[in-house]
Amino acid sequence: MSAAGARRVALGAYVTLVLIFLMLPVLVIVLAAFTATSYLTIPPKGLTLKWFVQVLADRDYVAALLYSLKLAFVTTVSALLIGTLAAYALVRRRVPGAAIVSGLLMAPLAFPGIVIGVALLQYYSMVGMRGSFLGLALAHLVLCVPYTLRAVIASLSGVDPDLENAACTLGAHRLEAFARVTLPLIRPGLIAGGLFAFITSFDNVPVSIFLVGVRDVTLPVKIFTAIEYGVDPSIAALSTLLIAATAIFLVVAERWIGFHRFI
Amino acid sequence: MNAGQSTRASLRSGYGLLSPSLLLLLVIFLAPLALMLPMSFKPYIAGQGIGTGFTLEHFVKALTDDYYLEIAGRTLMLGGIVTSLCLVIGYPLAFFLARTRSRLRSWLILLVIFPLLLNLVVRTFGWIALLANRGLINDALITLGLIATPIKLLFNFTGLLIGLTHIFLPFMVLVLMAAIEHLPRDVEDAARSLGAGWLVTFWKVTLPLSLPGIVSGSILVFVLTVSALVTPRLLGGPTYKVMSTLIFEQFLQLLNWPLGSALAFLLTLVSVILIAGSSALARRAGAAA
Repeated sequence: MSAAGARRVALGAYVTLVLIFLMLPVLVIVLAAFTATSYLTIPPKGLTLKWFVQVLADRDYVAALLYSLKLAFVTTVSALLIGTLAAYALVRRRVPGAAIVSGLLMAPLAFPGIVIGVALLQYYSMVGMRGSFLGLALAHLVLCVPYTLRAVIASLSGVDPDLENAACTLGAHRLEAFARVTLPLIRPGLIAGGLFAFITSFDNVPVSIFLVGVRDVTLPVKIFTAIEYGVDPSIAALSTLLIAATAIFLVVAERWIGFHRFI
Repeated sequence: MNAGQSTRASLRSGYGLLSPSLLLLLVIFLAPLALMLPMSFKPYIAGQGIGTGFTLEHFVKALTDDYYLEIAGRTLMLGGIVTSLCLVIGYPLAFFLARTRSRLRSWLILLVIFPLLLNLVVRTFGWIALLANRGLINDALITLGLIATPIKLLFNFTGLLIGLTHIFLPFMVLVLMAAIEHLPRDVEDAARSLGAGWLVTFWKVTLPLSLPGIVSGSILVFVLTVSALVTPRLLGGPTYKVMSTLIFEQFLQLLNWPLGSALAFLLTLVSVILIAGSSALARRAGAAA
């Protein structure tokens, strides 16, 4: 074998090892979810689906899942709306101090999540919004707008403004011209930004954990608290369901818009 | 250029469209952060709660008390080692993904992205199952006869190091991959045709040219590591603390919000200075190139 060939084989072997390391916790969880024992063990002893049944029959988990989905949905739609407005302004309109404005709008990404969480905890306690859905949704919105903004700016920069102007010249109303001409052209950016926003909201713990109420809890916060009390195979089963959902989500997003190009 | 500027000047102002996002930022982000600072100067009386008046005691405590200094030192040390490990482990993978012509390339990149999208609590849970006293790693080592009794991998530095390196490795790989993809290949080809071996070419050409990626990836991973909450709390437990879990405890368990605010302020300072410094560094590197 040539030296270059040997190097390629060595690099290939190394890459495989690192990818296995990245996937290791995922594999372990999926295996542990099927154990018949009441404690976590790998490889599983016996084979059962009872932990999946138990989790899906648990009202608290189902309620937390629905709450998280509702929150992520409301956040994503709002983030797309105000993110697109802001992106359109920054790309197409006259904005004195545009660099400062876009820097400000992206700032929530530069701050540690926990700091935003504790700052909002104090703030919401003062104005009486702690534990409310609205408070949580607004907090998530702050975290999600940077993603929709960035994705839509990237898409919009590649669209010729004269297309929309031409539609206006031909008699279309400005809003109609935007909706019928520009909007379809920035669809990949909207989809990518929306997916990022949804995941950011659905997965969040460091901000949510300070803001959730006693009754309404998001799913990740619920799992976090459950693990702090002690681990058992039902958490592995629930995690396996989330792993499957994430994998399906990723494959669909990749087929749909070539998701990896937007990272 | 002139024509472009004059059309731009005749455009309508964009601040109307920007107002919803700027209002949101002002009310739900800037105002809460600004209000956190006065809280950090309020006295805290045990048993009574938050008092009125002005005190510097929380900052003095956080910056001089051995207990807090040890936790701060541990947090920064974790940040440094996790960043170095991610860099060393991630560079070859990023290099491979940037250069390979394999048909599987986009799927391999998705394998790196997948852990990023997977819920952080779930990923950390996987490490609990691996690192516990009766977890997979200890079981395997005992079965192989390498150790007689389980080694402690949870609730200590080793556990946090392994977990955090795993959590933040994909960030490093994706940043490095983008940097390596944009390297001018002809410079490498020139070095090779002038007689340099692959190692010399890599060391003297590829690596220095990817330095901007190395810097931004490292800053990103460092900041994420020192401010991480979920992984340190679950793998370190309530006893083995870092800065963010200390803040978590002050706010939700001890209810000493003034001290928690002071600690949060210091953590923010570290992150913001590093991020601002790195973008200044990146601008200078960009200007030099």
